Order: sequence, then C-alpha cells, then structure tokens
Amino acid sequence: MTLEGYRTLFLVGGLILGLVALIPGLSVVFSFPEGERFSELWLLGSEHMAEGYPFNVRAGEMQGPVYVGICNHMGDSQYYVVQVKFRNWTQLLPNGTMTLASPLPTLHEFGFFLADGETKEVQMGFAIVDAAFEGNVSVVAKILINNHSFPVDLSSRWNVEKQGFYYQLFFELWRYDSMMQSLRFHNRFVTLWLNMTRT
Amino acid sequence: MSGLRLVAVLCVLFVLVSSVFVLGVTASATESEAVSAVEGAEAAVAEAFGAVLEAERAGGNVSELLDRLDVAAAYLATAKVCVRTGDFAGAVGNAGLCVEALEGLVKDAAALRDTAARASVQRLWITTSGSVVGVVIVVCGSFLSWRWFKQRYSKRALTMKPEVADE
Repeated sequence: MTLEGYRTLFLVGGLILGLVALIPGLSVVFSFPEGERFSELWLLGSEHMAEGYPFNVRAGEMQGPVYVGICNHMGDSQYYVVQVKFRNWTQLLPNGTMTLASPLPTLHEFGFFLADGETKEVQMGFAIVDAAFEGNVSVVAKILINNHSFPVDLSSRWNVEKQGFYYQLFFELWRYDSMMQSLRFHNRFVTLWLNMTRT
Repeated sequence: MSGLRLVAVLCVLFVLVSSVFVLGVTASATESEAVSAVEGAEAAVAEAFGAVLEAERAGGNVSELLDRLDVAAAYLATAKVCVRTGDFAGAVGNAGLCVEALEGLVKDAAALRDTAARASVQRLWITTSGSVVGVVIVVCGSFLSWRWFKQRYSKRALTMKPEVADE
C-alpha cells in the first residue's frame, strides 16, 4: 500500500472512532426514533389460557374466574381503567373505527397504574343472580360481579340463528389523557359471550 | 286524661314524621356526599398522577410512587362501584381511603422531580464533556499516530535497497 493509501486508512479510522466518541453526546441532543406506542388488553379463562371461558350460564351459578390483562407499551407510566359492561346481542358494542365507547352504563370497574412495559392481570368472577324466562324472551334483572350486585334489567330475545338467549359481558380499556385531564376510551375492548340457559 | 292521650299521640306522630323526614334528607345527603367524595378522590388522583408524570419525565424512578397511586386507584374504582350499587357509605369510605393513600405523594413526587432534574443536568454535563474529551483524544491520537507512522514509513522507504526486476 502507498503512503496515500495509509493516510486514507488513518483518516477513515479516526473519523469512525470520533463518531463513536460523539454518540453519547449526540444522544443527549437528538432523540432516537422510538417504537410504536400501544396498550395490550386480553381476556383469559379460568386456567389462565385462551380457553375455558364461561359460556352457558344459569341463574345463581358463580362463573369464572376470568382474567383481564393489560400491558403498557406507551413509553411512560399510564393510568388505566377497565370498565365492565353488559349487553344483549342487539345492543351496541364500542365503535373501534370511531374510537367510541359503548353508550351502555358501566357496572364494575378496575383502576390501576402501570409503568412502561409493566403488565397487570385482574381476576373477575360473576353470576347472573336474578333471571326470568317468558316465551322467547329472557330477562336478567341483576348481575353479581366480584361480590357487588348490579341491577341491569336487560332482556334478550331467542336468537334463532345461534339458538340461545345471548348476552355479552365486555371490558373496555380507558386511559387517563394527561393533556385533556380526563379518562378517554383507549379503543381496546374484549368480550365474553354468554348463553343464558333455563336449567 | 283524653287531652294527655291526644298530646302523647301527637308526640309519637311528630317523632315518626320527623324521623322519616330526617332519614330522607340524610339518604339524599349521603348520595350527594358520596358523589362529591368520589369526585374529590378523582381530582386528587389526577393531581398526584400529574406530579408523578413530571417526576418520571425528569428521569426519576417513580416505581414506588406508582405503587401508592395503584393502591389509591383501586380504592377509587371501588368507591365508584359503591356509588353505582347504592352503597353510599362504602363510596365515601373508599374515597377517603383513596385520598389517604395519596397523602404526601405530590410533595414526594415534586422532591423526586427536583432530585432527578439535578441528576439529569449533571449527567448531561458528564456525557457532553465526556464526548468532547473523547473526540479530542481521538483526533489528537489519530494525528500523532499518523505522524509516527509516516516517519517510520519514510525511514523504511529510505533504507530500502533498489532491486532490479527480471524482465
């Protein structure tokens, strides 16, 4: 190699080492791109698996437990609230495209704070405590969730297609928006179909 | 005698009517009390969370503060559930526990934020000056080693004997 060649080698080597030495200083001034920010929400059955969910339910029979899990990937600490709602198969679910929560009243709720990357799972047991059947209509008067009794007075017609009196427990994820200083629907929800049976 | 009896009956009636009235007022007062207690607790949680977020953004380790907030959030959720189920006394109690769990948290978060901010400035100086010193060392080192290499190269080139290559 000629002297010119060695000079280029020294220059390039020095430049690379200089850049390496500069990286800590640059990281203070410039922020490097971050990954996608999101929250996870899931629902697991009694065995902590994505199976064994309660489905056929009878009045007075305790169901569950089911586990609702949340993981924070938002880049900083978050205040989450999971709102539990109950509907029949004709009522509205949250609107995912318009980021609208279901207009149905909240029954139970869980609130917690999670650091970035942290996961939390809450346990929930429930029972339909007061139900009646009249022809092709069933009426649920009360539902018990984690030992709190909620009046619901909800009726469901017989679903001819799926052969059952269908209801749904669903869990909406809400997040505290520090800019708006209020809880906002975080556009995540999980559902649990229930078939109300007579016997 | 009949007059006394009439007075006694009137007294009993008065007590019954007034107790019903008082109970009614107490029940409605308890409901509004529960709602305002829950609102107060919500505001306290929001304020505390704001302070914790500031501390976190300043670079502080907020895991202990988050644990305390988590306890408060659980009480707040229970208080809201109690309002929905009509257990107003339970709602007031849980809202009180929520506020209690947050006691001193804003102050602690502010102290952590200040400490973290100072540490962050210190870290910034160390990192920046470390980087500058590193770059200066690399530049000087490269230049000196190049000079040393060049001298050695020239010396070797001068001491080399010319050779005639076979054609």
